[in-house]
Amino acid sequence: MLSTVISKTFLDRWKGEAIGAATLVVLFMMGMSVYRDIDLSIYTNLPEIFRALMNIPADADVGALAYGAIYTSYGALTLTSLALAMGSASIAGEERDGTLGLLLGNPKSRTYVLVSKAANVILLTGLGSILLWLGGLAVPALLDVNITGIDVGALMLHMFSIAVFHGFLAVAISAWTGKNSLASGITIAVMVLSFFAVGILPLVESLADGVYAFPWYYFSGSQPHVNGVAWGHLAVLWAGIAVFAGAALVGVNRRDLRSREQGDGIVDRLRSHPLTQKVVERLAGSARVSRIWTKTASEHQGVLIVVAYVMFLIMGVLIGPMYNAIDEALIELAGVFPEGVLALFGGGDLSTPEGWYQIETFGLMTPIAFMVVTVMIGSRALAGEEASRTMGLLLANPVKRSAVILEKTMAMVLYAIVVAVALFAGVTLGSLVGGLGMSVGNIAAATVLGMLLGLVFGALSLALGAATGRVRASVYGTIGVALISFVANGFLPLAGNLEGLAKWQPVYYYLSSDPLVNGMNWLHGAVLLGLFVALVAAAIALFNRRDLRQAA
Amino acid sequence: MTDNPAILTEKLTKHYGDVKALVDLDLAVSRGEVFGFLGPNGAGKTTMIRTVLDEIRPTSGRASILGMDTHAQSVEIRNHIGYVPGDLAMYPNLTGRDTLTYFANLRDGVDWSHVDELADRLDADLTKKVGDLSTGNRQKVGLIQAFMNKPELLIMDEPSAGLDPLVQREFQKMMREVAAEGRSVFLSSHTLSEVQRVADRVGIIRGGYLIAVERVANLRSKAMRTVNLLFAEPIDPGVLEPLPGVSDVVVENHHASLTFNGQMETLLQAVTNRYKLLDISTQEADLEEIFLTYYEEAGS
Repeated sequence: MLSTVISKTFLDRWKGEAIGAATLVVLFMMGMSVYRDIDLSIYTNLPEIFRALMNIPADADVGALAYGAIYTSYGALTLTSLALAMGSASIAGEERDGTLGLLLGNPKSRTYVLVSKAANVILLTGLGSILLWLGGLAVPALLDVNITGIDVGALMLHMFSIAVFHGFLAVAISAWTGKNSLASGITIAVMVLSFFAVGILPLVESLADGVYAFPWYYFSGSQPHVNGVAWGHLAVLWAGIAVFAGAALVGVNRRDLRSREQGDGIVDRLRSHPLTQKVVERLAGSARVSRIWTKTASEHQGVLIVVAYVMFLIMGVLIGPMYNAIDEALIELAGVFPEGVLALFGGGDLSTPEGWYQIETFGLMTPIAFMVVTVMIGSRALAGEEASRTMGLLLANPVKRSAVILEKTMAMVLYAIVVAVALFAGVTLGSLVGGLGMSVGNIAAATVLGMLLGLVFGALSLALGAATGRVRASVYGTIGVALISFVANGFLPLAGNLEGLAKWQPVYYYLSSDPLVNGMNWLHGAVLLGLFVALVAAAIALFNRRDLRQAA
Repeated sequence: MTDNPAILTEKLTKHYGDVKALVDLDLAVSRGEVFGFLGPNGAGKTTMIRTVLDEIRPTSGRASILGMDTHAQSVEIRNHIGYVPGDLAMYPNLTGRDTLTYFANLRDGVDWSHVDELADRLDADLTKKVGDLSTGNRQKVGLIQAFMNKPELLIMDEPSAGLDPLVQREFQKMMREVAAEGRSVFLSSHTLSEVQRVADRVGIIRGGYLIAVERVANLRSKAMRTVNLLFAEPIDPGVLEPLPGVSDVVVENHHASLTFNGQMETLLQAVTNRYKLLDISTQEADLEEIFLTYYEEAGS
């Protein structure tokens, strides 16, 4: 009886899930083939505490390393992101598109729709998990790597559970509020914070117990790929899933469905208040629509504020004082780290404040933060206006297509600068508060290189949007290229003969020169800037020669 | 520049893969006229409009607006036109006034007293967010947006969608005023009554081919109509049947109904010579019937 809505949603979404899983299997293959060719003693000689942190078992072999590095980080994050995207769109997505009313015009209950959508989160996440599972078994067989002792099934069961956990959290918020972006925003925040907390809290003696409060711990904390299924941990996750499911059922049935009304932001409220009306009108009303770039910049302020805030306060200021609280034992032992081992984790070395910041803030979080804002604008800029059918109206005005692209690019650069300023200020302040004495100039250098890297990926999403007019193609294409670049950047240098290849992707030009220690590498900056300019130029050329898409 | 036709297309053709959306379209829209562009759904109306606006590029052929090439001089052209797309979509989070300000800024300003006048005439609420407006009220914002810079040429694709009859009438008046000022209107529609009321000429398109361009007056006379006649006395069907343009005669006592395609004057003269006519009502043929008329002509 549930078949109709389930199958429609399934057919809408299965491609993304399959492509995501396939990409991860390819990355996994890359990782495993690199590990196969390197001397693993550098890992097995590590002190116990490091191995624990990096999910490397004492008797590490190629298999354990590859599963730990690819599947438990990139794999789980991707599978979880797909699940939470589905979960947020479940009820709220149809409300936003105005199709929920139509759907409920048929003799089906809200519960029916909700259960169908939730079932799909499980089905599709299951599909992704099974594909990853098959890939996880096929790749070692293909590469002739012995994976005795690795419990791929246990890892996948844990990964499936953490993904469904986030998916259902998103379903619950979506069902209660009817707000798609709120649901995905909160769930992404939960995912990122808990991923981050599980990585960092065990390093800090006094905070180590706090890790139990974060869902991610119940996925990776027990190292299921080595130690098998931890039923207690799974029970925690599935209890959460049951609670979210119950909350969603109650939530979707008790509230008024939203019509396609627009929510009122702070600015809108101030504008309608007689006291503030005049001032706000001058600042926000007419200024917001004065140019294409100001309008574009006004549209994603919420995300910008959150990203800038996180980068300033958490990734910037808080990380500094934490350095002083790290387990002394860790710092003493840090000298034994072979160069290159930590490349995967951002290439930092725990024995210095710079290395600490590189691992925690600059390695992964900084590029992600910049990409969130640049790719958001890059993908929505052209493809988004085409999808919402406003591009025709916009281009009926005397503006060139290239001018539209350039103004949207300006908004993207503006956003990147805001994040860069927040990050720079946060890290500088964190270094001061923690008494770490890091060079301000070097912090600026790392920030600028990170910003340029983010702009390169933003321009890539712009070019993909210009070429296709499709938001999904732009977003997923960019994420795919970014994933491959990051993994290539981490792995290729480990295999001596492939090191040169690492230079053929943009991430190399971000941290390979160790800017936090050595300061600005102008050549690398110029390469990233050149790439950015070339991609924007490509976007203009692609957009100019193409027919605009008609209403999708 | 003022001597050039408002729109001129020469062998304009657009294929989407194997689908021929527009084939060898030759069309000239003059200054100072309201040109109705009629056709059923999927006939190629929107494709033609999107092509001359440079949203999409012709497979072959060319087009000019106000004497300027639609591709090479597209930006300059857009200084002189107003456009209402079919299935209008705007930015839901902007108010009507914000929306108009945005487009006005892209055009280096606009006469706001004119905007207020237009809003007044169409009874539009510019303070609400576009996303909160009903279809008809949203359409009004779209119309103001197109009219506000007093363009030389208005291109509108199904612009009356969702408008109530009072507003439709006001909107039709506005179109006539534009033509009276020597400016032009290109009105795509599948509503025959509206086109008949405002247009000077109509083009009929079907399956990507322009079937005919006619003055509205001629179209009217070609149109099939159902005519109902009520007489003071019983009548003989033999009187009606031989008249030119008359067919499908059904007579019941005092009442006759027939399908008519010709000058109403001849019909009236013929019947009033013989009988006392009490009442007459005509029902306009719908668009489909007019197409059938044209197809029959094309076939014969």
